[in-house]
Amino acid sequence: MNIAVLIKMVPDTESKLEVNDGALNDQNFKYMVNPYDEFAVEQAVQFKEAEGGKVTLLSLFSDNNSIDTDLRKMLAIGADEIVVLRQKGYRGDKPLANAKALSDAIKELDVDLVLCGIQGIDYYQAATGTMVAQMLGMPNISGVTSLEYNSGTLKAKRQIEGGLQTVETSTPAVITCQKDMNKVRFPALKDIMMSKRKPFENKDVDSIDSNDAVTSESSLPPARDGGEMIDGDNAEEKVNKLIEKLKMEAKVI
Amino acid sequence: MTPFHDYFGISWYVFLLIWSAIAIGAHVYQVGFIVKLIRLGKDDDRFNSWNQRMKEFLTDWLGQRKVVEDKVAGYAHALIFWGFLMLVSDVIDLGTGGLFAEFLGMIYLENIWNLVVDIGYLMAGVGLLVALYRRLVIRPEKLKDSSIEGVMILFAILGIVITAFIVEAGYMLGEESHYNYWEPVGVLFAKLMQDIDTSTLQTIVDVSYWLHMILIGGFLIEIPQTKHSHLIGTIPNVMFQDHEKMGTMLPLQVDDDDLAVKTDDLDFENLTLGVNKFEDFTWRQLSDGWACTACARCQDVCPAYNSGKELNPMQIIMDVKNYGKEHGNLLLAGEAPDETIVDRFSPEAIWACTTCYACVNACPVHIEHVPKLTDTRRHLVMEASDFPEELQNLFNNLERNSNPWGLGAHTRADWAEGLDLKIGEPAEYLFYVGCAGSFDERNKNVSRATAKLLKEAGVDFSIMGEMEMCNGDPARRAGNEFMFQMMAEMNVDNMNSLGTLKVITACPHCFHTIGKEYEKYGGKYEVYHHSQILNELKQKEKLKIKDYGDKVTFHDPCYLGRIGGETEAPREAIGGDLIEMERSREKSFCCGGGGARIWMEEDADKRVNEIRAKEAVNTGADCVAVGCPFCMTMMSDGLKTLGEEQKTVKDISEIMLENLEG
Repeated sequence: MNIAVLIKMVPDTESKLEVNDGALNDQNFKYMVNPYDEFAVEQAVQFKEAEGGKVTLLSLFSDNNSIDTDLRKMLAIGADEIVVLRQKGYRGDKPLANAKALSDAIKELDVDLVLCGIQGIDYYQAATGTMVAQMLGMPNISGVTSLEYNSGTLKAKRQIEGGLQTVETSTPAVITCQKDMNKVRFPALKDIMMSKRKPFENKDVDSIDSNDAVTSESSLPPARDGGEMIDGDNAEEKVNKLIEKLKMEAKVI
Repeated sequence: MTPFHDYFGISWYVFLLIWSAIAIGAHVYQVGFIVKLIRLGKDDDRFNSWNQRMKEFLTDWLGQRKVVEDKVAGYAHALIFWGFLMLVSDVIDLGTGGLFAEFLGMIYLENIWNLVVDIGYLMAGVGLLVALYRRLVIRPEKLKDSSIEGVMILFAILGIVITAFIVEAGYMLGEESHYNYWEPVGVLFAKLMQDIDTSTLQTIVDVSYWLHMILIGGFLIEIPQTKHSHLIGTIPNVMFQDHEKMGTMLPLQVDDDDLAVKTDDLDFENLTLGVNKFEDFTWRQLSDGWACTACARCQDVCPAYNSGKELNPMQIIMDVKNYGKEHGNLLLAGEAPDETIVDRFSPEAIWACTTCYACVNACPVHIEHVPKLTDTRRHLVMEASDFPEELQNLFNNLERNSNPWGLGAHTRADWAEGLDLKIGEPAEYLFYVGCAGSFDERNKNVSRATAKLLKEAGVDFSIMGEMEMCNGDPARRAGNEFMFQMMAEMNVDNMNSLGTLKVITACPHCFHTIGKEYEKYGGKYEVYHHSQILNELKQKEKLKIKDYGDKVTFHDPCYLGRIGGETEAPREAIGGDLIEMERSREKSFCCGGGGARIWMEEDADKRVNEIRAKEAVNTGADCVAVGCPFCMTMMSDGLKTLGEEQKTVKDISEIMLENLEG
């Protein structure tokens, strides 16, 4: 079974967020693999180990940042090759344009299954995977929490409000992976070393015009106040003061 | 009268020859088997610094330096040991029917020799009685579960001693003999036996002689099989003790100059990553198994064992020996037993170690427990990728933001805001803040206090700011040696680019790793714990610290005291009314945070920090002084759990700043 896994490189959650004149400054971002996509890679590698075949990682990214180190770790987990589609003017908040570029690249591969995370932790749009399915004309199951494969049939479980839904479809299909679908393995050192020899291709692709919605302004949440410490000689006095404040100042009780 | 006559018409010598052949043959065969097993281990070239090694051997082995630290068992052992060294030549005399003494008589040494041997037997006898008293009457807690074997062997050795005196007495009795006062204890026995009639006396002497020889032969056969292998095993163990600085770990691969091979040049094809097979250990790690006497001193001081965890350092050493014995034939045939070393140790035990080195420090015969655990960790992380889940977060955090919490690397110097410090500029000292001092709220205050004091005293120092990284200690102690090495190489590059020569740090783990382990990665610096520098400034009165009378106790961090060798500077720096805990200085008890343990889960009912916090509470001090960010966290948490929150935990620098004059 040949599998394509779509990987979005997202800003490290600890990156410094700066907004200048309503625009996000991404100059100092460090990038990491979108955690939801890691579940997709792990699932793909598990299928490969059971069924054979090849796991190809596809990532769409801008043409100027270096993202090799963190992405290469996905090869250490067990994927076979990486193709990074380098696009001038790439933006993470344009799912339609990005789905187009990715599905064009998938069409050139011969795959039975496309896996990706349900959403990127940069803009949380949860759109690209489903759009890719539409563009490829494949069935789509989104937000999958566990996935089984049995000779051409995929059986997926989806956690929904108050229950569990089981869905079946035939391959090829596009699956978007929900949190905790599996436990992502930590590569052994020899796998990390071997991954350095695996194919890692950077391929320029054209920018795509789309009618995606456009981010018009970015802003940071308002800074929190310092809070107030309640002084008192003992716990009882402190609690009484707190109750007083909750009643009179915060007016919540 | 002597036992040297015919028995059943056959010369005594025939019986003795047969028995000697059996006993010596069995002994040599078994020792040979053990030597072959130990030689399966990898090379570890310790065949150097012979003068130092001879000196150590004389004090530690012959002088029993660390054995006698235990006043009862230690001195009992030393008496038996020295006694047997003095009397051992008597076996030759008894085996040759008195020819040896006759020979010594020709060179006028017989009398002296008789006296030495007699005192030897007496010393051994006294030692044995004390040891038996300890096992049968005192019965220390740690011996409750020990087998009857120990007592049996003590009685057997006592048998050897008593029968020797009876045979000596036999020489003195009978028509032609006289009391030989060069054998005073023998005379004592002879006087007790003088009224026994000749034929009964002959029987007693004969039986004693043969009992003596049977016990000695039996002992020879038994030595390689039981913990008495330490009679031989301690010789290479003490002679080839570790000359590296305590607590330093070996690189993955070293070049001809004993420096670490750079990560890019590592020969992965031929590299064993950690230990999972018997033969992955070095020969010296294997020889530990046969040097152990099961004295349980390591067990007594182990924080993991004493908090009820799976790990018992003594068992780890027994495991090495027993694994070798049980799978010996397979191992020597070059085959792999189904059970691995990790299976035998058990992963729970392997991950329970805090690498505090209390076990290594307590061992009288230089057994190296900790490397066995860190080496198996290396296997579990780098080879098997099978380790506690929390560590995966740790490794990811270290990789992405170079600190265990995973907080943004760009916020590393935020603690220094408003202090107007040099950042990334050359200075006399580099203040290496470390991750806890940079990211942990409580410990940021320690960094600020230290920086303020250094400024106050006019010390020229700078910090690295965002350029600083984790020193790699958590990765290294957790078995991720490769990650450690990458971090060490980057840090050394950065520090060298700043022209760093002298380093100050408030973290004993940075102190140890940068000061003692970076050398092999190209980083040679003079590294000081902040207490050393601050105390010097105090003594030179560049910092005027006023006297104060608060009751304070100091918890020695393992990597500063026992491993780091600095116990006095922090005490002098703190001042106040210092009350020592029961276990302090080199014998300090770990807070539970070392060996990357602080990043792993710990069962609520098995917490090391509570044991230590209790010891601190017992001193009656109001303040627990610490010199390590992890001790800070562990001791604070421990006191909280005990409901002793009114007691404060403060770093040395914070106490000094509070009492700064002016």
